[in-house]
Amino acid sequence: MNRLNSTSGRLNRLLPWFLPVVSFLSWFAVSESGMVPTYLLPHPKDVLAAASTYIFSEAGQGSHAGRFFEDLTASTIRVMSGFGLAVVVGIPLGIVSGRVALVNGMLGMTVNALRAVPGISWLPLAMVWFGIGLKTTVFLVALAAFFPIYLNAEAGARQVSPILLQAGAMMGVNRLRGTFAILIPAAMPHIITGLRLGMGISWAYLVLGELTGVSNGLGAVIMDARMLGRIDIIVVGIILIALIGRLCDLGLHQLLRLSFKSARRMP
Amino acid sequence: MTTRLRIVGTGRKPEVAPVVLEIQRLSKRFGTHGSGDAGVLKEISMKARRGEMICILGRSGCGKSTLLKILAGFMPPSSGLVRLNGNPVSRPGPDRCVVFQEDALFPWLTVRENIAFGLKGRKMDRGEQQREVDRFVSLVGLTDYGDYLPQEISGGMKQRVSLARVLILQPEVLLMDEPFAALDAQTREEMQNLLLYLWEKLSHTVLFVTHDVNEAVLLADRIILFEKEPGRIKKDIKISLPRPREKSTEGYFAHCRSITSEIR
Repeated sequence: MNRLNSTSGRLNRLLPWFLPVVSFLSWFAVSESGMVPTYLLPHPKDVLAAASTYIFSEAGQGSHAGRFFEDLTASTIRVMSGFGLAVVVGIPLGIVSGRVALVNGMLGMTVNALRAVPGISWLPLAMVWFGIGLKTTVFLVALAAFFPIYLNAEAGARQVSPILLQAGAMMGVNRLRGTFAILIPAAMPHIITGLRLGMGISWAYLVLGELTGVSNGLGAVIMDARMLGRIDIIVVGIILIALIGRLCDLGLHQLLRLSFKSARRMP
Repeated sequence: MTTRLRIVGTGRKPEVAPVVLEIQRLSKRFGTHGSGDAGVLKEISMKARRGEMICILGRSGCGKSTLLKILAGFMPPSSGLVRLNGNPVSRPGPDRCVVFQEDALFPWLTVRENIAFGLKGRKMDRGEQQREVDRFVSLVGLTDYGDYLPQEISGGMKQRVSLARVLILQPEVLLMDEPFAALDAQTREEMQNLLLYLWEKLSHTVLFVTHDVNEAVLLADRIILFEKEPGRIKKDIKISLPRPREKSTEGYFAHCRSITSEIR
């Protein structure tokens, strides 16, 4: 029984790496065979070399050398500002909207209509309003992250079992404490889902915001590399964004679990 | 709120104890989709004296749970009045606590944290709170389960927690809405005994809603028999069987039989 558990535990830990490893091996195999020209798909070793130059070399030693940390900082600031804005607006509004029919009636239709607008349609408008750079990117990220955060907080608050709120009321809990001690913990699984979706979409919209001619950032690097025909750098950018996005998701989940009992103790 | 539940010995005399809860001509109608109203409760009047164990017995749909929700303050009556110690009540409060039939524990809190929940925000220092929690955890027999989460314990244990978390608040009236209906027969019997044990010890007033005649005869000082459409009191039956009650005695069976025939 115990051994079975430990083998299945090991399998569960390895399972997520199956697809990346297989993809990498097939990529390697295809590149080695020379079936696809390198200007369409660069060889993994070239990509690795480009990545190492991009991340570790001193600035000036080749194209994009040593720019990584500057780009990472710039992009992270944009993502976190936009995401933070979406959280600050989305969660309170979502929770109120989930509990107060009046607010939901007022917001529901508008939010759902705006949600139908693809984020990219906001790009031209954002550029007119905010110019190129930080503000446009933050605006796009905040706008995109707002919807999943708001909608999930709203659903979570709406679906809280009335019996839990009744139990609180009979134990003498007032509205304010009820909101923080019952409503939000009970809605926590939904809130977490919204935050994780919002975080994921933030990175997507970051790249969109940075494609417009910003001088630094991970999205800018990808766009820059395209103009220079450096497909290896494009691939490096894509892989780095995937890694950082995943790390952010893990970090966010871990942070929530550290901060809230309800995040720790409910699936 | 500062009144403590006093420990009363076996010499209780409910007939002379002061009235705690008074229900005056209480009616409840729900609006229906068609024309007119569906009357659920009609002109309910009754009194509960301090320390009494009253069972409200009736078939499903007779409005007994609705009555409990109104008493708890979760729902307003269409007409009539509820008085607690002479004062009209309309909102939920810790002087009238409910043990629900369904699981109403906070799933993100441990057994101890659930039991302590109502004490938070009271003027009581941490040490005293912890001692009270300890006392009630052990009263309901969950000393070894204090750090478990609700999802990790059985249905019977959950109801023990539900009982402890309201008894710790020392309510004037304990309202119980078919709290043991979802439990298996053996666990239900354990819980009935636990309830009686705690009642002897803490002598709170209990209004216990049930559809189970045997349960009502086992527990009650008085059984208020409800009939339906509209829900109203059919009969107020005093059960003077000596306690502790044995389920195998002729007196017990006789009461069960006569009440069962009333219910039909």
